[in-house]
Amino acid sequence: MTTTAFTHPSVLAAVLTALPPFLAFVLIMLFLQRHRVLAAALAIGTSGLSLCTAVYLLVRHGSGVPAVQYQAEWLVSGNIKISAGAVLDPTSIFMLCVVTVICFLVQVYSLGYMAKDPGFSRYYAYMAFFEGAMTALVLSPSLLQLYVFWELVGLASYLLIGFWYEKFSASEAGKKAFVMTRLGDVAFLLGMLVLLSHLGNLDINELNSAGVINALSPGVLTMSVLLIFGGIIGKSAQFPLLTWLPDAMEGPTPVSALLHSATMVAAGVFLFARLFPLFSASSTAMSVCLAIGTISMLLTSTMAMVSRDIKKVWAYSTISQLGFMIMGLAAGGFVAGTFHLTTHAGFKALLFLCSGVFIHHYNTNDIFEMSRMGAKSLKIPMFFIIIAAAALAGIPPFSGFFSKELILMQLSGLDNPLWLAAGVIGAILTSYYSFRLIFILLRPGANMGAADRSIRTNSNTHGHHHDSRSEWLMGLPLLFLALVTVSIGFFQDQFSHLLSPEATADAAHAAEHISWLPFLAVGLCVSGALWAWVEYGRRGSAQIGIAERLPVIRALFAERWYMDKIYRWLLDHVIYGGVSRACATNDKKVIDGSLDSFARGAVDSGKILSKLHMTNIQAKLMSAFVIILLLALYSFFEA
Amino acid sequence: MIVPYGHVIVLAGIIFLLGLLCAVTRRNLIMIVLGIEIMLNAGALAFIGASLRWQQMGGQAVALFILAIAAAEVSIGLALIVSVYRKYGTIHVDILEKSTR
Amino acid sequence: MTIHSIIFYLLSSVVIVSTGIAVTRRDLVHAVVYLIFTFFGTAMIFYLLGAPLLAALEVIIYAGAIMVLFLFIIMMIRTEPSTAPLIPPGQWWPVIGFCLLYITAGFLFMYQEPDFWVFLTPAMATPGAFGRFLFQTHWLSIEIISLLLLIAVIGALVLGKPAGKKPNKTNGNRI
Repeated sequence: MTTTAFTHPSVLAAVLTALPPFLAFVLIMLFLQRHRVLAAALAIGTSGLSLCTAVYLLVRHGSGVPAVQYQAEWLVSGNIKISAGAVLDPTSIFMLCVVTVICFLVQVYSLGYMAKDPGFSRYYAYMAFFEGAMTALVLSPSLLQLYVFWELVGLASYLLIGFWYEKFSASEAGKKAFVMTRLGDVAFLLGMLVLLSHLGNLDINELNSAGVINALSPGVLTMSVLLIFGGIIGKSAQFPLLTWLPDAMEGPTPVSALLHSATMVAAGVFLFARLFPLFSASSTAMSVCLAIGTISMLLTSTMAMVSRDIKKVWAYSTISQLGFMIMGLAAGGFVAGTFHLTTHAGFKALLFLCSGVFIHHYNTNDIFEMSRMGAKSLKIPMFFIIIAAAALAGIPPFSGFFSKELILMQLSGLDNPLWLAAGVIGAILTSYYSFRLIFILLRPGANMGAADRSIRTNSNTHGHHHDSRSEWLMGLPLLFLALVTVSIGFFQDQFSHLLSPEATADAAHAAEHISWLPFLAVGLCVSGALWAWVEYGRRGSAQIGIAERLPVIRALFAERWYMDKIYRWLLDHVIYGGVSRACATNDKKVIDGSLDSFARGAVDSGKILSKLHMTNIQAKLMSAFVIILLLALYSFFEA
Repeated sequence: MIVPYGHVIVLAGIIFLLGLLCAVTRRNLIMIVLGIEIMLNAGALAFIGASLRWQQMGGQAVALFILAIAAAEVSIGLALIVSVYRKYGTIHVDILEKSTR
Repeated sequence: MTIHSIIFYLLSSVVIVSTGIAVTRRDLVHAVVYLIFTFFGTAMIFYLLGAPLLAALEVIIYAGAIMVLFLFIIMMIRTEPSTAPLIPPGQWWPVIGFCLLYITAGFLFMYQEPDFWVFLTPAMATPGAFGRFLFQTHWLSIEIISLLLLIAVIGALVLGKPAGKKPNKTNGNRI
């Protein structure tokens, strides 16, 4: 249903969701830089308002109100029409809820985490800015509007990664993230232009309608879809452009929780879900997406197996789970992909926030060090992180199990069993690395000496300066997220029913088809957990993983399959050595050269002319008269 | 009956030639300006002759304009000569050409 | 041959001779003084040809104002006559060629022009009639000319302002 009435209650609610955070951003940046409490209150207040309206929308549309689309014409050029507005259908409302819930929780959590930071107000301004951009992105009815906010979200990500800009690595990481996602966005823009030039319209609903899909030739369709997928690759850190996400962990941990695991990087997957009918119209593009998702999932799972940095582990796991979502979507499972997106947002935010507590407490990112300092003694975060890791691994009662099983089910429906095998391997690896981390944290290495104990006692006394209020502020979001993680899996049916009623029947049908799949899934994660226990958790284990025993493989994994090195080499030899040098040579020899020679020619001819100028003025007078006389004679004989 | 109209034109032509030779051959800035004055004067003379030949006062009006233009031209020309003299210390064209090259 | 034509030929010979002398003088002051004769002669020819107002103006402006201005400048600059030949040896041939060309063209026009031998009949444009004519038909041109004169005054003022730089005394005495 398309409405032009601005006063439609859903539309008003949508505006109330997206606009206040922007206002908060402007107000904080302009007036509240020095007022920490006011700034935080404003940001959290607007965030709470957004949350309330989002929940209102969910309840309203969940109880049977049809989807609403409000549009006003924004750009009209010839027969190209671009509209701006808001769309409120199940996909956008679910994503809206996910975004606002996580935003609100993370902002509350940040009250504790960032309390001592000098850039407190700036932090909340950026957070509000991100929230506004992200909600507007989710609500966009046209691809161009979505693109605009997509870029704004990228800007927010850049600002927040480089939040501690005085740290060189942080600003470098911000730059890297910005440039790498821009690479993908260029492809996105091109894909959008292809669609625009062929259709004259970027309305998402119309793009998804069957008529438009039939109107495009298969080649154009595949090309445009693949180009748009390029944008998804950049934003969701998939295979060729994945190295920016681990580096993005230089930002504050709540930022990593919010942007780089739960919401912003999921925007790519969200775009995939948004354009799902368009994507699924091109089977070639779908298989490419499937392949990219698989490769990213497997690659980053292996990277996570050897990392010692707690945030990096979760970053790799984010990429791999995003790959998993893309696999699910590309296999045709719209509900599977979006459901995994929702559950992942919950448990990954929980993981990051728990890690944030550890990092805040021990001032280190290294899991071995944390464990040595007594991470086990922080009972509540430890408890929550185990829940979240279990959800990530896919242990049954937790949310991850349900969504992962859905995706595996979709994969098993494909003709080629290779994809299912990849999914199975991915699930085992996921389970392995999450429990590896848990066991390391739980069991301080048996081979640690007395020196480590002294560090531990020191750090304990050192760690007690956190007051109970900030712990409480940080604990509350954890509790809520843990509740979500535990419970949301049981709402799978309602979820899929709301999201797409017809897909539920398919899913049920497929579930009948392969009844052994849930057992397979459970078996997989348990075996992964057992593997981790054997290597890390067992009493007297050496705490050295199988991948770490072989130096070659370890180096390969730890160096991210040498992807950064390859990029560096490509950059140095192909871009700088080839393209840039060619451009520079062209600049120097052709453009500058031609300009120089032109200028020199002008100067030389000017010299010649000036010689003419400098000669005897009387001679010129004379010649002028001679010419006039000759002209007179000529006219005389002519007449 | 005064003279044939042609004789006035010939007289103007002769004066004009003399002024032209003065302006073209003399190597002194003041003499060049003087030559230009002579040429203008010759032009005015031709116009007055034509005015009488056709019994029209338009030619005399143009002669009046020539007079005014000559006055303007000479004032600007002489000011230029003065400033050139201030700058280069000479008004001799040959020396000026050497020193400005 | 009437009295008018005699006066005309006399005056024209005076004008041509004095102009010829003026343009060949080395001493600038002499040249200017001879030119004053020229302009007086021209003024009388103007009167003869029926333009009394212009004759008066010729005397006032040319012979009076302009020549005096020249004299002022010559006195101010204080140059000595140069000893170089009036026409440099290399320039004789171009000058002679040009004069021949000019005279040829003049003769051609003379014989081609049907009005050449038409005798002028005496007439007189009285200053009053001339002034009325001028301001009735050419008032806009008069205004433009007045503007031009104003601009000339301003331009001369600007150009004549001292540039703050002393003339180079080493070659100041040469012309």
